[in-house]
Amino acid sequence: MEQKSFLQQALESGRFVVTAEIGPPRNADAEIIKEKARILKGYVDAVNITDCQTAIVRLSSLASAVLIMSEGLEPVLQMTCRDRNRIGIQADLLGASALGIKNLLCLTGDHPKFGNHPQAKPVFDLDSIQLLNLVKGLKNGRFDNGEEIKGVRPYFFLGAAENPFAEPYDFRPYRLAKKVKAGAQFIQTQIIYNVERFRKFMERCQDLGLLDRVYILAGVTPPKSLGMAKYMKYHVPGLEVPEEIIKRLESAKDKREEGLQIAVEIIQQVRDIPGVRGVHIMAIEWEEAVPEIVKRAGLEVKERAYEICAPFVVEKVVEKIVEKPVEVVVEKLVEKVVEKPVEVVLERIVEKEIPLEVEMGGERLPLATLIEVLANLKASLMNIKTGMEALEEGIAKLEEEFLGKREPRPVVRKIPKKPETLIEEGRPVKEEEVREAKPEVEEVIEVVEERTLAEVELREEEKVEQYEKPKLEVREEVKLELKEEVKIEELKPKEEGLQVRPISGIEIRGFKGEYRPLSERASKIPQDLYIERATGEIREVVIGRGDKVLRCGGVSAINFHFFEGEMRNGVKIAMEILDVKPEDWPEGLAKYFEDVYHDPALWAKKCVEVYGAEALCLYLLGTDPNYLNLPADHAKKVAEKVVSAVDVPLLIWGSGNAEKDVEVLREVADVVGERGALIGPVVEANHRTLAAVAMGYNIPVIASSPIDVNLAKQLNILLENMGLGLEKILMDPSIGALGYGIEYTYSVMERIRLAGLFAQDTKLQVPFICSIGKEVWKTKEASLPSDNLMGEAEARGVLMEALTGVILAIAGGDLLIMRHPKAIELCKFLFNALSLS
Amino acid sequence: MIVAERRALSEILKNIEPFEKIMVLGCRGCVAICSAGGDREVAILAEAIRLGRELQGKPIEVEEETFIRQCDPEYLEPLREIKNRVEAIVSLACGVGVNLIADLYPEIRVYPGVDTTFYGANLSLGEWVERCRGCGDCIIDLTAGLCPIARCAKNLLNGPCGGSKGGRCEVKAEMPCIWHEIVERLFKRGELEKLLELWPAKDWRPAGGDGLRIRVREDLRDR
Repeated sequence: MEQKSFLQQALESGRFVVTAEIGPPRNADAEIIKEKARILKGYVDAVNITDCQTAIVRLSSLASAVLIMSEGLEPVLQMTCRDRNRIGIQADLLGASALGIKNLLCLTGDHPKFGNHPQAKPVFDLDSIQLLNLVKGLKNGRFDNGEEIKGVRPYFFLGAAENPFAEPYDFRPYRLAKKVKAGAQFIQTQIIYNVERFRKFMERCQDLGLLDRVYILAGVTPPKSLGMAKYMKYHVPGLEVPEEIIKRLESAKDKREEGLQIAVEIIQQVRDIPGVRGVHIMAIEWEEAVPEIVKRAGLEVKERAYEICAPFVVEKVVEKIVEKPVEVVVEKLVEKVVEKPVEVVLERIVEKEIPLEVEMGGERLPLATLIEVLANLKASLMNIKTGMEALEEGIAKLEEEFLGKREPRPVVRKIPKKPETLIEEGRPVKEEEVREAKPEVEEVIEVVEERTLAEVELREEEKVEQYEKPKLEVREEVKLELKEEVKIEELKPKEEGLQVRPISGIEIRGFKGEYRPLSERASKIPQDLYIERATGEIREVVIGRGDKVLRCGGVSAINFHFFEGEMRNGVKIAMEILDVKPEDWPEGLAKYFEDVYHDPALWAKKCVEVYGAEALCLYLLGTDPNYLNLPADHAKKVAEKVVSAVDVPLLIWGSGNAEKDVEVLREVADVVGERGALIGPVVEANHRTLAAVAMGYNIPVIASSPIDVNLAKQLNILLENMGLGLEKILMDPSIGALGYGIEYTYSVMERIRLAGLFAQDTKLQVPFICSIGKEVWKTKEASLPSDNLMGEAEARGVLMEALTGVILAIAGGDLLIMRHPKAIELCKFLFNALSLS
Repeated sequence: MIVAERRALSEILKNIEPFEKIMVLGCRGCVAICSAGGDREVAILAEAIRLGRELQGKPIEVEEETFIRQCDPEYLEPLREIKNRVEAIVSLACGVGVNLIADLYPEIRVYPGVDTTFYGANLSLGEWVERCRGCGDCIIDLTAGLCPIARCAKNLLNGPCGGSKGGRCEVKAEMPCIWHEIVERLFKRGELEKLLELWPAKDWRPAGGDGLRIRVREDLRDR
């Protein structure tokens, strides 16, 4: 049965051939394969059928090859050594030959580790070269054990793969020589992007005299996207993607078009290399690209269409497939292919070439009718599609109307810097109103500012100067004072001079004794007795953009259980500033910020430059309808000031009034969106709108729920349903300060965290944010004066804030918002101590 | 040596759940050298079992014993006595020891305390790496002393696959591509021709494909 395949004939005729590749589906749908075949038909000489590529279970290559033939396309059957031993392989090869498959590509196969059944036992009874040798033997009438094949021998045009880009480079041409020696008649190479290295490889093959003995088809893949190119560069072993290709894709507007162009150019370059007899185009899940590339590369050949008509009669399949089981078909095929000479078969095709009628359900329909029916069906499908799109558009418009803005559409995301146009576009009806309202709003702000300023200090300008000018001096002073104060052992009640000093006399002393790591203390106990590793991991949320970002979460154990897992980012602390002058801050806290109360920009600067804050939380207290009820515009202005004053990551905390926060945060997001700031609190009542705002600016949110495991989870689910990913959420469980319900907070936080880490509750695998400062400094104890019973006031407040912080960090807190610089220092000190392990 | 690793304590506790008196039995052979089943590990495991059972509220009596080897019948002799004192034995020997006890003393309930993993070398303190697979047909005379059967993830015989990158294995990047090393060494030694030979498909019978493997030396046998 040495009937040569069309691929072999084409190569022998000296024509430059084109092969492509089809990956069978991960289901039993024959139509998918046939559809892909129809796309390629007429443009390629043969098509490879992969054998469970990357070790993922797919429809078998043998069955797929038969289906391809039913579409009149010639298959190259790929066979790997991963899943079958030499018994299985030989059996399948006899079957393949009996079914009329004539091209075979022998591969070792990807290791199961890379696939979807990594538990499987890898077979690898043979390697690719031994497989080639085995097939050569079969062609010569011998099984692998030397036994003679009595009767019909299988025939295959035998191919192999080679990778010029895998190390050791020097050995690759020799390995190719081994494959030729073992029986390879054609070679399909690994994907070529580095044409120069390929050229050198071909020169070496020439030196070894291989090019006269084997047809080499150059492997080409159009990169479908930048992501795919990068994936191939960094994650596919033995694939070389030069930086130049990545750059080309990066700068290209239409990535697909550029991908096609790259493939065409590579084909043109490799075509000129001596010994390259064709190309193998691997357009992974992008079969439509192949005809386009073939056309552009000028590889279209007229005769292909005639040649490829399968010798194998498929018209029976087409006829019977509707009513009869496949077994019958296969029997027929085998009969014909094996027993009858091809000429006869070809004659039959001619006879049957244009069947005018098709049998369907017993009725005979004219072919034209069937075509019409199918065309109608396709058209209806298109209609449904258009309808769906129209519906989607309608929903989008509704959203627009209710939400007042367009941000949730990702397309608009790119232009958050144009507030006016956005407002005009989003609310065309209210345009005039807005314009009219504007001056009023500004007036209100001016009034408010005057009032607050008056309260603080009348000589505003002087104050600003005082702080701004001697910036460096101030810092020096602080340091000096710190050193002095450290020496003072007792916590002295404050005296008259304290008001001027930025840092008071609270001293943080170290621990006594020596730390012994847990592994040492527990050395006598087997680890599995006390170590319980988490099965889940808390996600990492990134706040901010660019160089200065704050990463929270990324925790794979209970906080500070370093012996069980990691806390990639530790516990972070953001310092809180207000948009208005705080009225109820006790003196022990107020004295650190009084000089900057009047200007949020200076306040922010002081926190960062003097107290070393790594992030800031702007609490928009003034916008609270139950307090000053300042308008959104005020908040926006404050945010602008803060944004321009500091470059640390920002958190924006609204008043907590669900309705007002929507209004305020939407405006503020316009200012802080570019900085990637965290906004909140998002509650159930306003989650739809605020999720949309967050998605529009691609920023994370604070999901705030009344202290309860299920409510926290529900809010996360609601946000996720809106399309906001869990990696954009920090949970605020609503906390209580020390003495004000911290036990309950602890217990709820702990339960949430355990569910996330140990019970695979993915919706709770989100980091916690705890607004400590707000809760602690409003307690009665924090503002009672110093006396003998209660001790020194400031130290008391500091200890309360620090203790609340540490307790909640142990419960799972990942990002704490705090106020007092000393409390923050103390917390950090304790976190460091807790981190020894 | 044969490398082994202690099984999870929970597994061991599950196996001995019904018993109130057991013995943890170590071996001073390979498993002692790879710190999985010698005297020290016997003491640790016995203590852990006692602690574990105490936690479960079902205290247990655990005897500790370590034999010179568990793979020779004569060293197992003391079990004749021991079997009357304990209800079960947790053996920290490799699978050979556990099997031999089960063969010779069918009335003893013996449970494995370790998972027997591979034949490996002790590269550094606390690190063992596989070096041989016992395939019964040594080929390393042709591969510069480096075994592709044990050390190539696809046990290839005709050179490196296309996934070798920077001399590393694509399946386990922390391991070198052994074929890369073989090729480099043979290149240097000028023994390229060894690599150009087609290596025929391997006969897997000596590797166990033929059923249980037995070795007999007539000259040493008792008559």
